[in-house]
Amino acid sequence: MSETLRRIEIPIIITIVCTLLQVVPYFVNVPPIEAASDTFRSWMVLVATCSTLIGAITLTMGHSKTIQRQGKGWYFSVLTIVFMLVMILTGLPIPEVGLGEKNLVYDFCFKNILTPLGATMYSIIAFFLTAAAYRSFRARSLEATIVLIAGCLMICYNAPLMTVAWPGFTPIGDWIFSVPNMATMRAVIIGSALGAIALAVRALLGMERGYLRGGGEE
Amino acid sequence: MADLFAVWIAVFFTLAIYTFLYKENPWFRVAESIYLGTAVGYGVAFDLKYLRDQWTGVWSSTGLMMTAFAFAILVGLLWYFRFSKKYFYLYRWPLAIIVGTGIGTSMRTIIFAQFLSQIKGQATLPLFVAGDPMTSFNNILIAVMVPCVLLYFWFTGGSRELGAMKVIDKIARYTMMAGFGSAFGYTVLTRYSLFIGRSQFLLGIPPNPPEAKMAFVTIAAILLLTLFGWDIYKRQTPEIPT
Amino acid sequence: MSVLEKLQTIDRRYIYLLGWIFVLVPLLHPLGLPVSIGKYSTAYYNYLDNVPDGSVIMVTFDYGVSAMPELYPLTIATFHQLWNRDFKVVIVASWNQGPLVMDIVLKELKPAETYGKVYGEDWIELGWVPQGEIGMAALGKDIWSTKPADYIEGKPTSSYPIMQNIKTAEDIDLIVSFETGTPGLPEWVRQWNTPYGTPMIMGCIGVMVPEVAPYLQTGQLGALIPGLTASAEYEQILKHPGLATAGVDAISMSHLLVIILVIVGNAAYFMSKGRGGS
Repeated sequence: MSETLRRIEIPIIITIVCTLLQVVPYFVNVPPIEAASDTFRSWMVLVATCSTLIGAITLTMGHSKTIQRQGKGWYFSVLTIVFMLVMILTGLPIPEVGLGEKNLVYDFCFKNILTPLGATMYSIIAFFLTAAAYRSFRARSLEATIVLIAGCLMICYNAPLMTVAWPGFTPIGDWIFSVPNMATMRAVIIGSALGAIALAVRALLGMERGYLRGGGEE
Repeated sequence: MADLFAVWIAVFFTLAIYTFLYKENPWFRVAESIYLGTAVGYGVAFDLKYLRDQWTGVWSSTGLMMTAFAFAILVGLLWYFRFSKKYFYLYRWPLAIIVGTGIGTSMRTIIFAQFLSQIKGQATLPLFVAGDPMTSFNNILIAVMVPCVLLYFWFTGGSRELGAMKVIDKIARYTMMAGFGSAFGYTVLTRYSLFIGRSQFLLGIPPNPPEAKMAFVTIAAILLLTLFGWDIYKRQTPEIPT
Repeated sequence: MSVLEKLQTIDRRYIYLLGWIFVLVPLLHPLGLPVSIGKYSTAYYNYLDNVPDGSVIMVTFDYGVSAMPELYPLTIATFHQLWNRDFKVVIVASWNQGPLVMDIVLKELKPAETYGKVYGEDWIELGWVPQGEIGMAALGKDIWSTKPADYIEGKPTSSYPIMQNIKTAEDIDLIVSFETGTPGLPEWVRQWNTPYGTPMIMGCIGVMVPEVAPYLQTGQLGALIPGLTASAEYEQILKHPGLATAGVDAISMSHLLVIILVIVGNAAYFMSKGRGGS
């Protein structure tokens, strides 16, 4: 029995059935199948949401090892796990006992820790970008020169100081955005759509197995 | 008082991240570790709230729905066999459900939304617009550039050595380089916009709390003193040879 | 080491310091530089202005706290335009931090006091729709069962007057989306615009702007606010200056810094190359 359950064909068949359950009702108007597809989709969202603890468990396992071994910076791992547990426990959806998003600790952590940290993490890239532009952005070849000139013109287009100093930056920036940029992205969208269709066909034929890799080795 | 404390905490964490610009240091590591834990914990709490809302909403309305909800939770528990060597195969079943549904949901409209509509948009571009030579010129350029970029990534068959392909490759490369330059320009805008937003908070510019300005100056001074002080101390203290 | 070589290998922390100066100084002492109104912000404003009163508009928060500095000013300005009109506004989020950003918007705008809008009659917030594209598809098919309760009061969605005639995507007249990545525009186009024909306009962070150009050209996207500069222009059109307008001088100076550094770096490179340097 166990050997039967281990067979790779089971998840492949599940994938094919789930794919067809979404595709067929869209093109074939059979109300019962459409209703089943809609209900299944809502049901599937519940299944997907149940995976929420995987990240927390993986994080805990990794950092616990560091703490156990008293590895370098183990006290930072303690902070990570403590704050994760604080957010989970205070954010548990039990408003009857004062937990949940209206909990003061949860609200404080979100507004004054997560919000500033999240915003700052992405903003720091501005400095690295500037330093990289200064040290590496060189017109070494014709292609690099085109990137450099187009980039500088777009930077001028986005800076009100520049567009007021010379209004010519505006039509040039509009042109770069709506002609070469648009052409590049259109080709990328068409290409990625073709790739997605190919992936879907492979999934329907049971040839796509990349997501089934892994054997639980730690 | 509580609001003031909250502002000082927010300013501290903001500046702790920025200390990384000087070099990797414990202040940054503290902020980074706390961010990681808080973000993961927040995601879990939000997902659990969603499950509860779904139960109290639709899934507790009839016996059949309740059974379906319970079955969803049972199938959802199969995710955690990811951590088991012996029963790892059970983890693939909910994964197959998600992958299959995801592929089906996107595939059924991608042909129209991204493939046909873009080709139609390309094909219906008028190559000659009366009284507007610039638009005509642009449309001709687009009509040439898009196929060139598409063909640049075509590797099937032995046509890549043809002379025409070399011209097509050149046009495609130059088009893409201009596109990447545009992307770079907008990336600069985004990253500096994010930094400007944080700076507006640090300077207490309304509607941000004005107390943040004092907190900024004080905490920045403390952090910089500790960073520079530690550097000076390390330079002055000779390394003991082992 | 020659001056040119020193220029090319300068400690990057001096560049970071310049970044701080070029942003903080114009914020502390605004230069009052004029802002020219561009075509994208004008088109976005006109698009909303031409939507008839009584229309149902779905506002989607496809961003979290990390993109707030760039998208929050646009969000405030858009709600200012929406709530000054007689629209039915349904708010959802496909990013789980979206509702928490909306909490901050509500604290600032106070729709009941400022605009006389009644929750449950003029607007409603349904909260986070999980699982990205699949959730969007489910929402389009049946809003009531995908979001059985609202976010703010936790009452059944079907109990609110505003939702009586809003059950599927076909009951929504326009999507206004604030985006920072995936899920975002392509997913909304695939699951709402293509099957139901729901028109869409959006504001997004600068990084996303290049990839939405084809959708703008085909008309799948009706209008676009591309980044913080256009948000400042939009605020000027609305005569409702906010954080975007306050930050526009800093945008100009920071961009000027990047241009100067690129020019100096390339000049030093070519001059040292010309002298036979490395």
